[in-house]
Amino acid sequence: MSGLLLQATDLTVRFGGLTAVDAVRIGIPPGQLAGLIGPNGAGKTTCFNLFTGRIRPSGGKLEFAGRPIVGLRPSRINQMGMARTFQNIRLFGELSVLENVLVGFHGGLKSNFLSAILRLPGYVAQERRMHRRAGEILELVGLTRLRDEPAGSLAYGQQRLLEIARALATGPRLLLLDEPAAGMNPQETAGLASLVRRLRDELGITVLLIEHDMRFVMKLCEHLTVLDHGRVIARGTPQQVQSDPAVIQAYLGAGEPEGIDDDRATDA
Amino acid sequence: MDAAQLTQQMINGLTLGSLYALIAIGYTMVYGILRLINFAHGDVLMVGCYFAWFGAVQFGLPWWVALMGSMALTAALGVLIDQGAYRPLRRAPRISALITAIGVSFFLENLGLVVFGSRPKAFARPEIFNHIYQWGEVRVLSLSIWVPILTAVILAGLLLFIHRTRTGMAMRALSRDLVTVQLMGIDPNRIVAATFALGSALAAAGGVFWAMKYPQINPLMGVLPGLKAFVAAVLGGIGNVTGAMLGGLLLGMTEIMLVALLPELAGYRDALAFILLIAILIFRPSGIMGQELPE
Amino acid sequence: MNLRDLLKPGPLPPAIQSRRRDTLLTIGACVLTAVGLWLLQAHTSGYVVHMACVGALFATLAVSYNLINGVTGQFSLEPNAFVACGAYVTALLTLSPAEKEASFILEPLIWPLSAFSIPLLPALVIAGLLTALMAFFMGFPVFRVRGDYLAIVTLGFGEVIRVVANNAQSVTNGPLGLKGIPHLTNLWWSWGLLAVCLFCIVRLVHSSYGRALKAIREDETAAEAMGINAFWHKMLAFTLSAFFEGVAGGLLAHLITTISPSLFTFFLTFNLLIIIVVGGLGSTTGAVLAAFLFTFGGEWLRVVEEPTRLLGWDIPGIPGMRMVIFSLILVGVMIFLRRGILGRHDFTWRWIIAVLGRGRTRS
Repeated sequence: MSGLLLQATDLTVRFGGLTAVDAVRIGIPPGQLAGLIGPNGAGKTTCFNLFTGRIRPSGGKLEFAGRPIVGLRPSRINQMGMARTFQNIRLFGELSVLENVLVGFHGGLKSNFLSAILRLPGYVAQERRMHRRAGEILELVGLTRLRDEPAGSLAYGQQRLLEIARALATGPRLLLLDEPAAGMNPQETAGLASLVRRLRDELGITVLLIEHDMRFVMKLCEHLTVLDHGRVIARGTPQQVQSDPAVIQAYLGAGEPEGIDDDRATDA
Repeated sequence: MDAAQLTQQMINGLTLGSLYALIAIGYTMVYGILRLINFAHGDVLMVGCYFAWFGAVQFGLPWWVALMGSMALTAALGVLIDQGAYRPLRRAPRISALITAIGVSFFLENLGLVVFGSRPKAFARPEIFNHIYQWGEVRVLSLSIWVPILTAVILAGLLLFIHRTRTGMAMRALSRDLVTVQLMGIDPNRIVAATFALGSALAAAGGVFWAMKYPQINPLMGVLPGLKAFVAAVLGGIGNVTGAMLGGLLLGMTEIMLVALLPELAGYRDALAFILLIAILIFRPSGIMGQELPE
Repeated sequence: MNLRDLLKPGPLPPAIQSRRRDTLLTIGACVLTAVGLWLLQAHTSGYVVHMACVGALFATLAVSYNLINGVTGQFSLEPNAFVACGAYVTALLTLSPAEKEASFILEPLIWPLSAFSIPLLPALVIAGLLTALMAFFMGFPVFRVRGDYLAIVTLGFGEVIRVVANNAQSVTNGPLGLKGIPHLTNLWWSWGLLAVCLFCIVRLVHSSYGRALKAIREDETAAEAMGINAFWHKMLAFTLSAFFEGVAGGLLAHLITTISPSLFTFFLTFNLLIIIVVGGLGSTTGAVLAAFLFTFGGEWLRVVEEPTRLLGWDIPGIPGMRMVIFSLILVGVMIFLRRGILGRHDFTWRWIIAVLGRGRTRS
């Protein structure tokens, strides 16, 4: 028992001949605001996909809250308290904003489908609670006004917020945010930073985020892990990382196009 | 089962397998390029048989002229179906195209029933295919010898075509990515049309041999060979032309051997293909040629 | 700290508040329908009653099929297998031993099926449960694949069931089929089933489970990442739809009184597919509307068929000009009106009241 919320040991994944993630060690203590950075194609999103069970590692260990999670279904891992957002937004486009959040609660539903059909009191009580909490979460991220709009019709920044809201509904202890500020204007980015901080301070949620906006990362995160070509090349506080020659080298030398890091590439 | 019977059954299996292979290629090529299960492929085959029947029986053409004519007309039909029904849906969700293909399939079948009637029509075997060869105990219809040979010739030609000609190479390129083909300065739509033409012509050839084997045709005759050939294509790894040939042979052999070795299960022969399909998707979703399942 | 621990009961959300009014309206509509059916029974010919039964059974089938294909977005092609299963099981349970002995000429029916018969209601329940069980076992291989592969595998299962029905003579009587099934299905059975089916499926779709099913349709990866076990939810939709398809199959058998494997080919699935596509994949209302449109429209279309003398009597799906037109409709809808007549919209009382209210303010 390490006391870490998420611990990856020698995590490795190979696609064909390519080693996308190579013996990565990451440990996140509870309550930390952590960041995962690196040039395009460094394997950051692949790491998220490994953590959340979307792809299986070729080797290495993965523990969440002290329990091994390799080989579990993504839904099981989510129910254990790990939620994520997606780099290329994946909302349920035809469902309303409210419904998207309500879907997040479904994994924690205690009633079976028969009590849902028969509207037994236990189910109705849970449905009420879900609605109340969904309202609160939408209030928190500032989307209350849009609750009945189809999620697909929202502006880009709002869709990113809704992804966070939906993830919050699953009741996470660890929240993985994949480029949450991408496509946001400076105002929205500032709002996002304060939202993420509130999630940690007021709700006690541990956060690990991938982000390319360095100002955002440096201001928000307490600990950074830097990936390049699937390997960890540096870790430490933002200040330590910023002055690390290996990091500077990686960012200067990074000329590769979006490859394995693209969400779609790992879909196949 | 003695050696003579075994030889005889092997030849039967080879013949049936060749037919499946001819039909499977159309499925696999279209799927490779459009990611569409062309549900109507089996019914295109049926129409091809009627073309040949009209040529041979109504107009008294020699069998090979009727066959060539049928292949040409069926190729045109394939292109027509693609342009009329599938092309408007190129950008639609794949399931929409699949539903359309199911619709086209039923359209052809029911139009066939209305136009040709539901009574089967006799499809006379030409002289050359109607001999019985006999070596000792083994008795084989000449058709059963000719079909694998002709199939081998056609498939060799096909492989040459897709590996040596510009259009053929564009087809293979298109099944991988669109950009390369456009960079080659080729109109993807023409390549798609060529693929439908080729696949449909091969289906017509397969269908005509099929009709000679059983010797009769009816408007619903394409359904089972079509579905089974699709299974053969999946067996071989869908999108893979060589795989489709092997898959066809394997399916044909397995079917014949099932009936030969376990005659009491003969009635379940038509279910075998689907049981194989289900087994493959469970144990080896990429097919025997090992290509990844596209998702 | 877990957010779920913070959950406490709150005020009724508006969606649930309006439920009392909606319940009353729904009960009212049911009573009206019942009166309508009673009038139909009393004052029209047997033929109209027969068609009304067929319509209700097709509506039940379409609504169930739409649950897996439209709501959950898992495009499958096996309802003919489920209907066949339900029809055979029910018929074998209700046929009298004497009738069975007379029918099974080639091979006798296996014991104990040959020795007893039970009333329709328990037979239907058993048929539904067995069909659901079959779907459950099918689901394991079937839901390993997605998209067009799912379509082909389920189609394959449909074919396998038909081949089995043709060959397992000591149970199904092979190609001869079962004759002399008591004509027990009337308006009350068929419309009653439709009501129960609508009650269950509409309520399921408008519950947390329904949201989960739609989420799987919209984006399975995201749904799975939000804690929804996609496999078991697909299983739920699949087995529930199989249950109702099985029961509807049983009632169909007791409506047409003769069944054989040739009734349950892919043609049947194709008809249901047209119905749910035309109605709008994902819309329960659309499925019901299109089912009745199909049943009665099919009758009207017989006019087209008369000169070709390809008249079939009771079941749509007998080849002829109508099927040519139906297939053209399917292709046309896909090309020009991909979302069908209702898209994914569903009937709600709120919507009806809004429409009526608008009419009143205008006048």
